Amino acid sequence: MTQSVIIEAPADGADVPVTASHPRVRWILLAAGLVAALALPWFLYPPVAMDIVALALFAIALDILLGYTGLLSFGHAAFWGSSAYVSGLIATHYGVPFPVAVVGGAVFAMILALPIGYVSVRRSGIYFAMVTLAFAQMVYFVGYQWSDLTGGENGLQGVPRSFFGLELVETDSFYFYYAALPILLFGMWAAWRIVHSPFGRVLVSIRDNTPRARALGYDVDKYKALAFVLSAGLTGLAGGVFAISHRFVALTELHWTTSGDVVLMTVLGGIGTLWGGIVGAFLNVTLADYLASSGFGGIDLITGSVFVLVVLLFRRGVWGTVRHQWNVRRLRRAAARRAAPSYSSPDRSSRHPASGEGTGR
Amino acid sequence: MESKRKWAGASALTVTLLLSACGGGGPGSSGGDFTGGKLVLAVLNDQSGVYKDASGPNSVKAVKMAVADYQKKYGDKAVVKKIEVTSTDHQNKPDIANTKAGELYERGGADVILDVPTSSAALAVANQAKNHKKLFLDVSAATTALTGAQCNKYTFQWAYNTHLLATGTGATVTRNGGKKWTIIYPDYEFGQNMTKSFTAAVEKAGGTVQETIPTPFPNENFATFLTKAGSGNPDVIGTMQAGGDLINLVKQFNESGLKDKGVELAVGLMLINDIHSLGVEQFAGTLFTDPWYWNMDAEARAWADRFLAETGARPSFEHAGNYSAALQYLEAVQAAGTDDADAVVAKLEGKKVNDVFLRNGEIRAQDHSVVHDANLARVKKPADVKEDWDYEEIVTKIPAAEGFPPAEASGCSMTS
Amino acid sequence: MSAVLQYAVQGLAAGSFYALAALGLAVIFGVLGVVNFAHGAFYMLGAVAAAVLLDTLDLTLWWSLLVVPVLMFGFGLVVERLLVQWLLRLDPLYNLLLTFGLTLILVELVKQRYGVSGLPYQLPGGLQGRFDVAGVVLPRYQLFVLLFSVAVCALVWLTMTRTRIGMILRAATENPELARALGINVGRWVAPVFGFGVALAGLAGVLAAPFRAITADMGNNFAIILFAVVVIGGLGSIVGAVVAGFLVGLVEAFGQAYAPTFAQILIFVLMALVILIRPAGLFGRQEATT
Repeated sequence: MTQSVIIEAPADGADVPVTASHPRVRWILLAAGLVAALALPWFLYPPVAMDIVALALFAIALDILLGYTGLLSFGHAAFWGSSAYVSGLIATHYGVPFPVAVVGGAVFAMILALPIGYVSVRRSGIYFAMVTLAFAQMVYFVGYQWSDLTGGENGLQGVPRSFFGLELVETDSFYFYYAALPILLFGMWAAWRIVHSPFGRVLVSIRDNTPRARALGYDVDKYKALAFVLSAGLTGLAGGVFAISHRFVALTELHWTTSGDVVLMTVLGGIGTLWGGIVGAFLNVTLADYLASSGFGGIDLITGSVFVLVVLLFRRGVWGTVRHQWNVRRLRRAAARRAAPSYSSPDRSSRHPASGEGTGR
Repeated sequence: MESKRKWAGASALTVTLLLSACGGGGPGSSGGDFTGGKLVLAVLNDQSGVYKDASGPNSVKAVKMAVADYQKKYGDKAVVKKIEVTSTDHQNKPDIANTKAGELYERGGADVILDVPTSSAALAVANQAKNHKKLFLDVSAATTALTGAQCNKYTFQWAYNTHLLATGTGATVTRNGGKKWTIIYPDYEFGQNMTKSFTAAVEKAGGTVQETIPTPFPNENFATFLTKAGSGNPDVIGTMQAGGDLINLVKQFNESGLKDKGVELAVGLMLINDIHSLGVEQFAGTLFTDPWYWNMDAEARAWADRFLAETGARPSFEHAGNYSAALQYLEAVQAAGTDDADAVVAKLEGKKVNDVFLRNGEIRAQDHSVVHDANLARVKKPADVKEDWDYEEIVTKIPAAEGFPPAEASGCSMTS
Repeated sequence: MSAVLQYAVQGLAAGSFYALAALGLAVIFGVLGVVNFAHGAFYMLGAVAAAVLLDTLDLTLWWSLLVVPVLMFGFGLVVERLLVQWLLRLDPLYNLLLTFGLTLILVELVKQRYGVSGLPYQLPGGLQGRFDVAGVVLPRYQLFVLLFSVAVCALVWLTMTRTRIGMILRAATENPELARALGINVGRWVAPVFGFGVALAGLAGVLAAPFRAITADMGNNFAIILFAVVVIGGLGSIVGAVVAGFLVGLVEAFGQAYAPTFAQILIFVLMALVILIRPAGLFGRQEATT
């Protein structure tokens, strides 16, 4: 899990990793992550902890597209929000245990992503960002106009939290956190499986050199669309849990600022790092939470400045920077030991968040 | 487990919680009993977004003024010595309002949450109040759902609702000769409710609504809608837009020439801060309902002078409403001798009140709507403005019984 | 019939703002390859600057139309030198993200400084009033906005096609490598072009000041529609941006008149259709699409 994208699928197609991640480090990080996830609601107000994990999955799902397929979606709020509404509606009208409702929401998000993805992936780069934004706006207006179903501006209030009659989970957000955590962890595991499967390797090769992937016989658009749908599905899982955790759905979940927020989290954590999304979500949520009670009014001032600084100075993001430093140090040591020059290329992902080509110009 | 959890998270917690964990007693036992040995009034509103001026940080100051007045009045006889006022920014996002409300009740030791602008946020907070069995006094959110279908025992709506705005303006303008109406409204919950209420009020007063025109929200360009509205030659164009959209519409209404044709503009919801920031020229002659105006009488003015000294601005009705809500809450706590929510609710319900904000006020027990006299106001011409913030002329008083819907019609059932 | 004419004029007047601002967006994209997310914020700054100049220095709209674009040009230069230029060689998505962050900062700063309720603005006397032609009411100011922006767009177009600077810029847009090979120093023009695009957004803001609400948030929704405009017109196409700007204004006006509920969605439906049928936009070069 500390392997970088580039290392796994070099542009020249050679499947030989430049460096192999240390398996021990991998297990330590995984264990540390799990402990942190389990301990979180002890240290934070449980609904805030839930927000962090749900948004982390959201950012990770976005990274499948942004970091591994080279597509910046500026409309992922459509999947997050629609799943939140559908999960909320299923829970309200059918009283099923909440995981069922969440899965229903995720399935809906994937169905919605099919036509949107089919149209959008025909474009890449800037165009893709704008097309997804336009579709998300349409979904927003539907949610806003169809107030009989969605509650419109008032939002969907009073979503129940059924869980096999276990009252502690249903009423206490501390226990709910542990009931919902497996769903989100499953989503993260699925994301990891996706990018490390042969399918994921094809995505990366499409990102790095689309014409070449096409020449190799891959149906590029089909792969991109599939990645889009899978990303939407994981986003839907996160959005559904978010809705059930809050016990209501606000129209802001569908708004384009939500799409912007998740891009911020992904960039902050590190594009193409997958797990960077966790760091991004953690920083974003805790900062917003802290500022809400700090008496400091200009929250966007901080968010915006962080964004600008990260893009200008730390394009690898938090996770990416740490990993890079770690790799550089390890390589130097290895090089010194073997007295053989092996580390040549700088981290290419820092120059290209997405595909090297495909800027839409 | 409950307390273990709190201990484990002690790094994030304050002394309040430690006290609450080992304070014993707990709510229910009466007689000078306060969780944590203190009373916490939490103002939860928009400190950074569009509602910042109308309520925002100055509402926190208004609540602090109420606390000071309470302490001055009761001195040593006050049942609780330590009163805290906290301020939380919901950034105009309902999901943040929702989480913060839960956190304030569970961990911030909040006995009551005040203000909470925008209906979606207020409805979410009302749900939290119900779940936590703690008080929520809504001031800035106008939806009648708070005292109707989604009412609950712990939620009160203090200042106004959409029905008041509609009947006040709709009925009075119609009676004063504006018989033919066209209504332009933003096509969402608030706009739709307002339009329904306005139509009912206008028709009851003998007028007709010839057309209702929905608009997108937010929207910058109202020229087409105004042309459409003007084509029916109405006496009055009613607009349910608010905030930036209202300003867009008013500017384009002035531009359209409808004013010269004698078409009046009636506004559903307007705050004095809107007039202050845009200048009276733009709004001159506009009719609207103001639940409370700082210069409406000597008592209001005296309080507004104190508020001016404190904040540098004149209060909006929402600021005064927050003051009143906090003050009456403290009075009820004094009477109950405890911060136990059920005991305080019992003291509040059915109480008849007169204070700086509430005239002829009654805290209705049936639906927890706080009803009181309001005003129909007209924006002054620039030449008539004598001092800063002197923008409104009170056309007529709207009696409480007329402005607020009868409790039986609210659709509220407290038992659920 | 007169109603249709009326809607058409209103649509074109609204389209003027889109056309002017989209033109700036297109020029910046054409030469720098940057999608400027902050364009809505620059539009907002233009309007705020006009209001502040009127309030503090008593500069009326006439002066603002001159002064504000110059100020915004300078501000654009600063933004380009300080921020944008460092990311020019990287994937354009980075500058999209950078300008997104910049938008948050600018909007928040204006909120902190000038509040959230908006600023007042008065039209100069000469532009008040309206003409009544055969039942069609034409506010003078709407006509002025329309004529003024058409004139500015025409001027920009002439500059781009008839002058040396224009040739250089077009060469730089279409084939930077070749332009460089011919000894044209493209880099020299990058900052001024960015400033110029920002100035156009500011100019649109000044024109909007008299009949739009001048608030920190006024550019947010505007920016989103602007993106639809440039995609419909074809990113980087100057003619496309202008035509699509007016077109979107018309779609909006007639949508509002005959299907108010769907007025805003229509623009995005139009955008999706364009992308499906002509992926490069109405005026974009089809071969340069991916």
